[in-house]
Amino acid sequence: MSKFRAPLVFLIMAGMLVFVGVYQSWSVSLSILGMCLISAVMALGVNIQWGYAGLFNAGVMGFTAIGGVAAVLVSYPPVKEAWSAGGGGIGISLLIMLVMSAIIYFSLKLLPKGKLRGLLIFIVLLLGLYVARQFFYPAVSSIESVDSAVSGFLGGMGLPILFSWIVGGVLAAAVAWAIGKVALGLRSDYLAIATLGISEIVIAVIKNEDWLTRGVKNVTGLKRPVPLEAELQQEEWFISLVSRFNESKLAAISDADAKAEMLRSLVIEGSGIFVKLCYAGLFAVVLLIVLALSIRALNSPWGRMMRAIRDNDEAASAMGKDIKKRHLQVFILGSAVIGIAGAMLTTLDGQLTPTSYQPLRFTFLVWVMVIVGGSGNNLGAVFGGFLIWFMWIEAEPIAIVLMSFVTSGMAETSALKSHLIESAPHLRLFLMGLLLLFVLRFSPKGILPEKVRHS
Amino acid sequence: MPETIEMLNALTLFSNFVLIPGLAYGSQLALGALGVTLVFGILRFANFAHGDLMAFGTMVTILMTWWLQSLGVSISPLPTALIALPIGIIVTALFAVATDKAVFSFYRLKKSPPVILTIASIGVMFMMNAIVRFIIGPNDQRFYDGEKFLMKAREFKQLTGLDEGLSIRYTQVLTVVVALVVVIALFWFLQRSRTGKAMRAFSDNEDLALLSGINPDRVVLITWIIAAALATIAGVLYGMDKSFKPFTYFQLLLPIFAAAIVGGIGHPVGAVVGGYVVAFSEVMVTYAYKKVFVYVLPEDWQPEGLSQLLSTDYKFAVSFIILVVVLLIKPTGLFKGKVIK
Amino acid sequence: MRKTLLATATALALSASMTAMAASHSEAIKVGVILGFTGPIESLTPTMADSAELAFKEASESGALLDGKKIEAVRADTTCVDAAVASSAAERLVTSEKVVAMVGAACSGSSTAIATKVAAANGVAMISPSSTSPALTTVEDNGMFFRTAPSDARQGEVLAGIVIDRDIKEVAITYTNNDYGKGLAESFSTAYKAKGGKVAISAAHEDGKADYSAEVGALSASGAEELVVLGYLDQGGRGVIQASLDADAFSRFILADGMIGDSLIKNVDGSLNGTFGTLPGSESAGAKMFLDHAKANGIDGDGPYRAESYDAAALLVLAMQAGKSADRASIAKNIMSVANAPGEKILPGQIAKALKILAEGGEVDYDGASNVEFSEVGEAAGSYKEVEVAPKFNTMKVH
Repeated sequence: MSKFRAPLVFLIMAGMLVFVGVYQSWSVSLSILGMCLISAVMALGVNIQWGYAGLFNAGVMGFTAIGGVAAVLVSYPPVKEAWSAGGGGIGISLLIMLVMSAIIYFSLKLLPKGKLRGLLIFIVLLLGLYVARQFFYPAVSSIESVDSAVSGFLGGMGLPILFSWIVGGVLAAAVAWAIGKVALGLRSDYLAIATLGISEIVIAVIKNEDWLTRGVKNVTGLKRPVPLEAELQQEEWFISLVSRFNESKLAAISDADAKAEMLRSLVIEGSGIFVKLCYAGLFAVVLLIVLALSIRALNSPWGRMMRAIRDNDEAASAMGKDIKKRHLQVFILGSAVIGIAGAMLTTLDGQLTPTSYQPLRFTFLVWVMVIVGGSGNNLGAVFGGFLIWFMWIEAEPIAIVLMSFVTSGMAETSALKSHLIESAPHLRLFLMGLLLLFVLRFSPKGILPEKVRHS
Repeated sequence: MPETIEMLNALTLFSNFVLIPGLAYGSQLALGALGVTLVFGILRFANFAHGDLMAFGTMVTILMTWWLQSLGVSISPLPTALIALPIGIIVTALFAVATDKAVFSFYRLKKSPPVILTIASIGVMFMMNAIVRFIIGPNDQRFYDGEKFLMKAREFKQLTGLDEGLSIRYTQVLTVVVALVVVIALFWFLQRSRTGKAMRAFSDNEDLALLSGINPDRVVLITWIIAAALATIAGVLYGMDKSFKPFTYFQLLLPIFAAAIVGGIGHPVGAVVGGYVVAFSEVMVTYAYKKVFVYVLPEDWQPEGLSQLLSTDYKFAVSFIILVVVLLIKPTGLFKGKVIK
Repeated sequence: MRKTLLATATALALSASMTAMAASHSEAIKVGVILGFTGPIESLTPTMADSAELAFKEASESGALLDGKKIEAVRADTTCVDAAVASSAAERLVTSEKVVAMVGAACSGSSTAIATKVAAANGVAMISPSSTSPALTTVEDNGMFFRTAPSDARQGEVLAGIVIDRDIKEVAITYTNNDYGKGLAESFSTAYKAKGGKVAISAAHEDGKADYSAEVGALSASGAEELVVLGYLDQGGRGVIQASLDADAFSRFILADGMIGDSLIKNVDGSLNGTFGTLPGSESAGAKMFLDHAKANGIDGDGPYRAESYDAAALLVLAMQAGKSADRASIAKNIMSVANAPGEKILPGQIAKALKILAEGGEVDYDGASNVEFSEVGEAAGSYKEVEVAPKFNTMKVH
């Protein structure tokens, strides 16, 4: 049974997507699939931290957002006026901060511990911050006043957005290193609450540092790695592709006008499907790479060591394993994967909207994916990502149908009926909670549990 | 003496904008944090559903208040919600106990690690979130019908002849008084009563407590009842002072957690202190002290800018910055709380 | 575990069969209403949807729409915060429910995502009642995105002019921390400074937060006597006003459209006399008529974006009638012509009349509740009313 379990659940998942494709539409099914793939990558990242090492990272939202910022910084064309207005000031202040950090770093290394050293560091810190401010704030205000209604920030590097997936991972890893350094001494619930708090700080910075991210004014119109549907609909090759695909359907129509009309709607439908397939293909490549690496890592000596630390850290420590270092390592790796997913998400959305980062959606929902799917099992996390995203989207039509079913006996004018139907969207949260509790109770290791190897 | 007047003006200004709002908000956070800390200390997990439990309790109280209002019951100048509150507490307590029976007790009996209970509480959070919106809807609800001001700013100015006004609302007084009463009652209960002592013993060392014949089911039951009562009271006080909206109550969860941890989680005194620390730091760090300095400092010393430590944009982040700093420097919080292993 | 899957599959099967059933026995024209029914603005959206559906009901009951067709509104939730959910939901409306047009979305982020990914791709027109972000003017929408809410850029200028005209030389500004609030705050302060005003402090407030006393403290300490509040009347904006009145920090306020509505006066304890602000629209009878019309149908029409929602829905209906077809492309093509002159002016509650005029080959110029007039990119160009509280919002002048 257990051998066939994974193929079986994935088969059922595929079946559900096909079901949606047939009964709703293939566009819906494929747009769900695209997000399923991204969610699966995100869940893999959390699984690396939680499933491999038992680290409760409730700051998923923060790393997702950092990935999103990377997408902007890589792909948005540089805003030349803003650079010339304030680029220098920002550069100088960053340089001052760098020098300051270097001085502090070396004084920590070279000077003996004592009051004098503390005082010195304090003075350097204060002085550095003061001097940096003198350059930073004027630069920021001149950048933000450059055509503030449509720009008002530095822009990015104008590179293809696909690069940002790597950059997002690297940026998230760098931030994870800093967070891990300070927070990983804490265990379980404490770490969860600390990372939850830190992720809120990250979002606050993204929302308010307009010169870098445009803040709450959002960055829209990011370049897409795939063609625009509207342009595709004009392309000669695409139209002929669609007509070849639907040859029999078109041949059945004799009237020329009706035939052209049919072809037009088929091309529109086809362009949406084609674009979504392109996205899904790109995401699937990333998912497969991350998944392959994760599986290899988990089965390597490193993976065995991680699980040993997770299950009994005292014994592992006695064996001479450096637990803190290993935890930091795994925290960085997992966060990098989340960062990649965050960049992919922003690529798919085509926009960065910092107000959209809410813990319920970007932290807790990802957790539901990992727990329901199966922590410690990479395939489980992937499945969780698929299933939960599918439910998250399809819960709405299900809820509406459910509600109209429940209220079908009531009078048209009944206040209760309209109240229930208006409340239908909230059933989504209810379903998520129910699913989580259900799985946690009856299959506590998730739908695809971790395989326990005895070798 | 002009200088005393200047000082009094500065003091009034500070009280009006920092002290009184901070005190009221701090009391609301403290009550919330007490509930979180109690569940943490005795049931040993971080309950992410506490914010939504507050929303649930407030919702029941609001529904009761509306019903009472429709019957014409009133205890003016006090708000009707105060009579509805006990019923709200009872219903919420029943609800919390039922949640425990349906969800949490299973893992407790299995001796699952605390993190599993925390994850289960995330599931409960999702569901409660939906239930509250289902019953009362996502809208803003206002249900305070008592007298509004104890002291109006303009009256204060006329009364004292100062340039600065001081306004005190009944809801603020009510919040502080109720919080005080509840905290004292809770401490008395924990320190003096048999059950309270049993709870503390259970919190300190579960195995030892069991050996000495303490009934764990009873301790758990009482804990949930108290947590539900605290959540309802905190929620209702907050709702009377501002307004009730389910989304806001979910957002309250984060500062409440910050308060509980800053004070030292599992430690009741810490929760109360933590609540005030978080509330006051939010207000004080982002307050612009310019006007205060104008009164206090000689002319040459007066600052050019607003003398604001941090722009209000980052207000929400303040509680988390404190949280992180405390966790780094003193992970057990200001008062020694538990460190979960 | 298998039970879960089984349950899921059953639920899905149920949903699909029910959808299929519903589709088979209704000949109604489907129009999407896609707003953030859950999430941060969940308290605004239900009444917006009701207002939009009121216009559909009018058209259906008139019997004049395309020779007696009915309109069926299909709601979908964008969650406001999640562009991926928003586009999936829109995708479902367009490709599965086969709606011919959409009213929505509410939040600018959702609108952008749906406009570029679904509306433009499938050639389905959408009219947003509340997305005010200036960035949407240049969105790649293929001519499918319209909005009855004006872009923020102009309102800031108008409001700044009014404030200067009233001889107020120094203000403090607080804005809701999103693209609406921030964009408006920037356009206001740029214009205000250019006219010689001084902005003592410009501070954001977050909606749905616990406490606003810190914000009010900072705002009042700036020394400015007047407070400009750019937010929402049932969210943080009201919280700031209430906290200001409670602490006697400010006694009157300068407001923009999101803050103006009689529910503000109703829900704030204390006097708002002297408070003034700008509201899109002219001194048309339309706004008043909409309130009465909505009230007669059991809807409280007084609130942010309700009039705009009604207008968005009405425009879609009229565009169908003008093109004599519920075809997607035909609707998109005709929205402009029914919104703008020439033609007979149409006000709220007169949809049946407009449908008749169009059926007889006449032309209409829909003004509606918010005085709709589209620029060439399909946006409300908007004149603004100057309103003042005494003790309700009264119109003073039109700018």
